[in-house]
Amino acid sequence: MKQTDKFQLRTETKEGRCIVYVSGEFDLEVAAQMRAAMAPLVELTDRELTLNLRDLKYIDSTGIGILVSVLKARNAKQASFTVEAIPPTIRKLFDMTGITPFLTRQNQES
Amino acid sequence: MNAHEEQVTLEVPATAEYVDLVRITLYGIAAKMGFTFEEIEDMKVAVSEACNNAVLHAYGNPPTGTTSQAPAIQPKMEIRFIKKEDALSIIVKDEGQSFDAMAVAPQSSPLHGKSISEINAGGLGLYLMQALMDQVEVHSEEGTQVILTKRLVRSEETA
Repeated sequence: MKQTDKFQLRTETKEGRCIVYVSGEFDLEVAAQMRAAMAPLVELTDRELTLNLRDLKYIDSTGIGILVSVLKARNAKQASFTVEAIPPTIRKLFDMTGITPFLTRQNQES
Repeated sequence: MNAHEEQVTLEVPATAEYVDLVRITLYGIAAKMGFTFEEIEDMKVAVSEACNNAVLHAYGNPPTGTTSQAPAIQPKMEIRFIKKEDALSIIVKDEGQSFDAMAVAPQSSPLHGKSISEINAGGLGLYLMQALMDQVEVHSEEGTQVILTKRLVRSEETA
């Protein structure tokens, strides 16, 4: 397997924003790791939470399901959650499932 | 079996860490057959969803009516790639409990036109398989068998 396909996660916090960069393949295999990483960040309601997908190569329904649960948790706390830099192949899946407007809503309004 | 068909069979443990190996194998076979990058990406997602189901069946839903002992044999899944003249079929077979019949019913785009509190990611895997492949069949007898088919559309030049 190419090294670049390995799932990696990096969190950057600055000026009231928390940006999570995920790269590689976001699938069933890394679901538990991703859930655990996102859980504390979801609680930080004084910060905007953004997921940057620039280097993401692949996502499956498990990954999309995690995005949905983060979105719902943030929404319940009236805190923002957006996804940015969505690659075309992943954007296609988001569009198919209908999740795109939920993930990019705040970006469009601002 | 048709004389023009060729098969490649992969048998791997039914665990999440082997699903990427299935994707790599699929990529090799589909690229050789002349599928486009986009078609291969579509198939990668669909086949992975079928494998995810097999993994979840193996570990998520232990069959009822048995003792509580851990299985003596590690659950496996079998992925059969059937190369046809004008299509590629991928059969993903597991030994687990059968699919929920409800989940097999065709669905419309699950998240479209809903509010955040209404959306739910359940059934997305099957929805994606149906949206990304030309044909999806699910058979549940002993274990579950998912048959995914993508037609090969050759360009005018190479036909």
